[in-house]
Amino acid sequence: MRENGSDRRAKPGKKWRRARKEALFGFLFASPVILGYLIFVFGPLAFSLGISFTDYNILSKMSFVGLANYRSLFDGTNPFFYKSLLVTSYYVVLSVPLQVVFAFAVALLLNRSIRGKAVFRTIFFLPTMVPVVASSVIWLWLFNPDLGLLNQVLKFLHLPQSQWIFSERMAVPSLVLMSLWTVGGTMVIFLAGLQGIPKHLYEAVDVDGGTARHKLFRITVPMMTPTLFFNTVMGFIGSFQVFGQAYIMTGGGPNNATLFYSFFTYREAFESMRMGSASAISWILFVIILLLTLLIFKSSSLWVYYESEGKA
Amino acid sequence: MNGKAGWLLSTIFVIGFVLAGCGGSNGNEGGASGGSSDAAPSASESGTEGSSGSPSSDDHAPVTLKYTFWGSPNEKKIQENAIKGFMKKYPWITVNTQHIPDDYVTKLTTMAAGNQLPDVGLLQGDQTLKWAEEGRIYNLMDFLNDDPDIQLSDILENTQYWWADGKLAGINGALEAMAIFYNKDVFQQLNVPLPPTKAEEAYNWDDFVKTAQQLTIDQKGRNALDPDFDPKQIKQYGVMLPTGLYMTAVYANGGQLVNEDGTKFMLAEPPAAEAIQRWADLINKYHVAPSPAQQKNIPGGATGLQTKKVAMTIDGQWSLADLGVSKMNFGIGVLPKMQKEVTMTLGDPIVIFQGTKHPKEAWELVKWMMNPDSTLELQSSGLWMPVLKKWYQEPDLVAKWAEGNSAHPEGYEDAVMNNAFENGMQQPIYYVRDLPDLNAIIDPALDNVWSGKTSAQEALDGIKAKAQAALKGVYTKPQ
Repeated sequence: MRENGSDRRAKPGKKWRRARKEALFGFLFASPVILGYLIFVFGPLAFSLGISFTDYNILSKMSFVGLANYRSLFDGTNPFFYKSLLVTSYYVVLSVPLQVVFAFAVALLLNRSIRGKAVFRTIFFLPTMVPVVASSVIWLWLFNPDLGLLNQVLKFLHLPQSQWIFSERMAVPSLVLMSLWTVGGTMVIFLAGLQGIPKHLYEAVDVDGGTARHKLFRITVPMMTPTLFFNTVMGFIGSFQVFGQAYIMTGGGPNNATLFYSFFTYREAFESMRMGSASAISWILFVIILLLTLLIFKSSSLWVYYESEGKA
Repeated sequence: MNGKAGWLLSTIFVIGFVLAGCGGSNGNEGGASGGSSDAAPSASESGTEGSSGSPSSDDHAPVTLKYTFWGSPNEKKIQENAIKGFMKKYPWITVNTQHIPDDYVTKLTTMAAGNQLPDVGLLQGDQTLKWAEEGRIYNLMDFLNDDPDIQLSDILENTQYWWADGKLAGINGALEAMAIFYNKDVFQQLNVPLPPTKAEEAYNWDDFVKTAQQLTIDQKGRNALDPDFDPKQIKQYGVMLPTGLYMTAVYANGGQLVNEDGTKFMLAEPPAAEAIQRWADLINKYHVAPSPAQQKNIPGGATGLQTKKVAMTIDGQWSLADLGVSKMNFGIGVLPKMQKEVTMTLGDPIVIFQGTKHPKEAWELVKWMMNPDSTLELQSSGLWMPVLKKWYQEPDLVAKWAEGNSAHPEGYEDAVMNNAFENGMQQPIYYVRDLPDLNAIIDPALDNVWSGKTSAQEALDGIKAKAQAALKGVYTKPQ
């Protein structure tokens, strides 16, 4: 504003017109994205909120049913809602910390100056490039109780074997294990963060006679908290929406052990054809993720360190 | 600048909202208000309109139909050939085919939401009656009643989808039925007598178990009757079970999914639970059949038989299409008998969707697809069985599709064709309301039965109340 004001004083009319023209062009150039968002994201979003209060099933006329869709979920009329919430929470609680810690550990290793560093980085990132369908099929083979590689290795080591995704108890932990394979994206963000840590901080530790452990816990981890924070939030959001593995590998089984929330939504919409109910389910997930994200954001002031601001 | 920018931004937002609003309300109209929904299809089919604008030299104005279907690449080719034949006979009708190999219902639901449904198409059986009730499908009786060429009584009862008395939603593209398929070489090598083909001579359950035991071989060559048999090292299984089609066993034991008027859940009753337990015992007690988890590393159907991973499969007759081209020495037998000698029949209907502008031509296409004369490759390849009765009864017609080709070996007519014709029982999707909801309760419970964790009775008792609460009755058929 201040700049603008001084501009106007210098050459009032012309500058003003130019700025307006520039703004117009700016918005025109941005309009594909803005309109795209409005039509393809915001529109459907609003529509789904609307139909979550109806009995819409695509085939028939929809009628307003108030909160009935939400009520039938919370009062247990729909026998799968709480089960899918439970299963998904279990997956999230297990997978997010493991993914973050695992990706962080790999990033630390790959940040060392070793020979063939680039090759290792590529190898660890590569699985992320594999589509969910392909990696699901690969892991179906690995998990195979009779011929799968995992059980063959356990057998070779004379360790007890597992039924993996075919056992009710092991299904979710198996899928968590599989999810660790694709933490490449998280790892790259960590790696970028690690390289942003100023070298002089480590040199200071050396000068003070500190050890590698000091470097890790006094320098690396505190300096990485913003990155850790970001990856944790993204991990939460991603894990709550896990879908492909249930759809491709387990079909929600055995005995609903992997009836993930998004898969339940899909089933409600396209097998039971209850679009209203499915929309309600989606909006509940939205609220859950929103609340959890807010909670993490609130907590961030306690443990996230931003260099520019100092510890809040 | 800020003020102006805000003004511009809000203008664009308003335009955006209006556009988004239009999109949204169009979608609404499609499902909700009848009055304006007429506008949408006419706009969407304007291409069709354009092409039908100029009358041809014939008496008939050109007509374009859209036909959707699913199926393997082979099935796709054969269906498209059948439709080419149709266009040859009715040169003024153009049929655009759309092959949707996966997520068929999802795709069609989306098309319905956008008022883009095809004129004619296959529809998954478990959706058909619901779609019919919602007014999305024509009642075929409207056509059958006035058609001099074909009577309702010409069509197999087991291929008809009724949603109320006098209301016929669709007729199967094909009749399908369950039977035993086996590799003859395996039986001969092990000196096991071949499975019977006539319903009257079907295995009783104990004989079937014993046969499967003789055919199950471990890595050291011992069969399942050997006291030293090692169930952890099985090289060849006796039989592969389609656990998802457990109703095959339930029907054979005189059981049912629901009672006649659909008010009582019957799967937890003794005949049904016992039948399911018998199949589970083949897996967990006798170790002659692979569990669903083990099935993942055994190729199914023809390949499993050919590679001798399994000696027999209980499967639908459609597997003949693969067996027929496998060059394997295979045979067919009737299902083992428990209480009754029956076979379960299946199949998905071809329906005419509401919204078609050309119902008469659509009906001609349905009739064309029903007539094996025009789709003979589908029948002779083993994939489809006819839906018209005379193709089972008149020997010269039977000979056209069920004899003299590699997909229909000796014994087929007794073991599959006659058995399906005389002893067929429709699978529950033909009459149980909201079956997907019921299955969503039953299937997870049965997971634990196939894995041997619980007995069938225990598992089914555990979900009995839930399943009972999910019952919505049955669709009534004409008497």
